Amino acid sequence: MHMNIIEIENLSHRFPDGTLGIDGINLTIQEGTFVVISGQNGSGKTTLLRHLNGLLLPDRGTVRLSGVSVSKDLVKARQIVGMVFQDSDSQIIGETVYDDVAFGPENLCLDRSEIKRRVYDALKAVGLTGLAEQRPHLLSGGEKRRLAIAGVLSMKPRVIVFDEPFSNLDYPGIRQLLEQVLSLHKAGRTIVVATHELEKVITHADHLVIMKDGTVVRDGLPDEMVKGVEAFGVREPYNSRPGMEIRSWLN
Amino acid sequence: MAELTAFRFRTGASLLHKLDVRFKLGFLVLISLAGLKAAPLALCVITFVLIAVIIDTRLPIKVILKELRYFLILLLFVFIARILTTPGSTLIQIMAVSVTREGIYDGSLVCWRLVIIITLGLLFVSTTRTSEIKAAVEWLLIPFPFFQGKRVATMMSLVMRFMPLILDQAKETADAQRARCVENRKNPLYRLRKFAIPVIRRIFESADKLAVAMEARCYSENRTDPWLSSGLKDWVALFVVICLCAMIILI
Repeated sequence: MHMNIIEIENLSHRFPDGTLGIDGINLTIQEGTFVVISGQNGSGKTTLLRHLNGLLLPDRGTVRLSGVSVSKDLVKARQIVGMVFQDSDSQIIGETVYDDVAFGPENLCLDRSEIKRRVYDALKAVGLTGLAEQRPHLLSGGEKRRLAIAGVLSMKPRVIVFDEPFSNLDYPGIRQLLEQVLSLHKAGRTIVVATHELEKVITHADHLVIMKDGTVVRDGLPDEMVKGVEAFGVREPYNSRPGMEIRSWLN
Repeated sequence: MAELTAFRFRTGASLLHKLDVRFKLGFLVLISLAGLKAAPLALCVITFVLIAVIIDTRLPIKVILKELRYFLILLLFVFIARILTTPGSTLIQIMAVSVTREGIYDGSLVCWRLVIIITLGLLFVSTTRTSEIKAAVEWLLIPFPFFQGKRVATMMSLVMRFMPLILDQAKETADAQRARCVENRKNPLYRLRKFAIPVIRRIFESADKLAVAMEARCYSENRTDPWLSSGLKDWVALFVVICLCAMIILI
C-alpha cells in the first residue's frame, strides 16, 4: 500500500489580473506512481504544478507533501518536488553542464565534496557525464532536457514534475526523454507529467487526470478514461480510435 | 546562442584558468591603469605579453575578431576623430579639414590602449567562471558593510550570464522584422521603436522565467560559493605583473 505523497484539498488560485487559474481542485497522488495530467492550453495544468513546490501559493485550499503543508516550509517542498520546465533554456543557469547541475546543491549550502558527488551521480543518471565541461547552450534539445532533469536530480527529489516535456523535441529526443522518465520511475520516484500529447506517454501512466477551465473534470485509470478525452480538447491516441491497443513510443 | 558574444567563459587548463580570480581581477586593474599613460615601447611590451597569454589560453582569435567587428568599427571612428581634431603639422589638407601627423600618432596610441584594455577584459572573462567572479566581488566588498556584497555579486553574475541570451533575442527580433521588409521604412526612430519594444518585452519575460526556475531550485543569497584559494603561482604572477607595470610606467 503506497502512502499519499501529494494531497491537494480545495485548491484555488486567482492571478493578480483577476483571472481564475484553478478552482476547487482535490487530488491525491500516491508515492511511486506515474501520473499524467492532461488538458488543452489554458486548462490550468502549469498553474496546478506550480503549487506543488510553492512557486505559486494558494488563495484557498492546501497542498500537503507527506502530510506537511507546502507553505509551511518552501525550501523543503522544493527539495521534495523537483520541477522540469517546458523551456529548458530558461531553466539552465550555469555556464557549464557541471555548474548548472551544481546550482541546486549549492543553494542547499552542501559542502563541496557532497556537491561534486551529487553532480556526477546526476550526470551519470542522465548519460551526460562526458559533457560536464561543455557549455549548455551548445547541447541539443534532448540533451538540454536531460540536463534540466540532472539539475533537479542533484537535489534528490522524491517527486519529479515535468511540464510539457515533449514540446520542441524530435522523435529520437522524445524516445530518449521517455526512457529517462521511465528509468526514474523504475528507481522509485513519483512522476507527474503535464502534457496534451497523451499518445506519447499514456501507456506508461498509472493514473490520468484531465483538466478543463481550471478544474479537474476526470480522474482515474488511463484505460477507462482515454476514450472520452477529446471532449476536453485532448487528442485521443491514434490506436485507441479503432479500439486497438495503445502502444508505447519505445516499441 | 552563446556564440553571439566573445565575452564568455571558455573551459581550459591554461595558467590563467588556474590563477585565483582575486589576483586576476587585481592584474586587470593594475595593467589597465598602467597602460593608460603607456608610451609606444611599453605598449609593445604589453602586447607581446598579451599575445603569449592568448596563445597559452588557446582562445579562437579569428572567431573573436569576427565577434568584435563592431568594436573595431568604433575604434576606427575614434581614430578618425583623433586625426581630424588634434592640432599639429598638416599631412593632408582637404578643404577645411586637415589630417595631422600628431593626430595619427595620438589616434594610434588611444586605439592601441583601448585594444589592450578590451583584450585584458576578454582574457579575464574567458578564463573565469561567473560564479568565481561573483565570489571574488563578494570577497572584495567585505570591508564595505554599507554594500550588500552578495546581492551586487549576484546581479553582476546574472547580467554576464544573460548577455548572450539578450543578444540572441535582439538578433531574432531583427531577423523577424527584416523578413517583413522593415528596411523599407526609412525613419530610424520608427524602426528603433518597433525594435526596442518587443526586445525589451522578451527580455523581461525571460528574466521572469529565469527567476521562477531559480526559485524552484531553492535559490538563496546564502549558498555554497566557489572556494577561493591562492597559492605560490598566484604570488609569483603578482610579482611579475608588478614588475611589468613598473616597467610600463618607467619606459
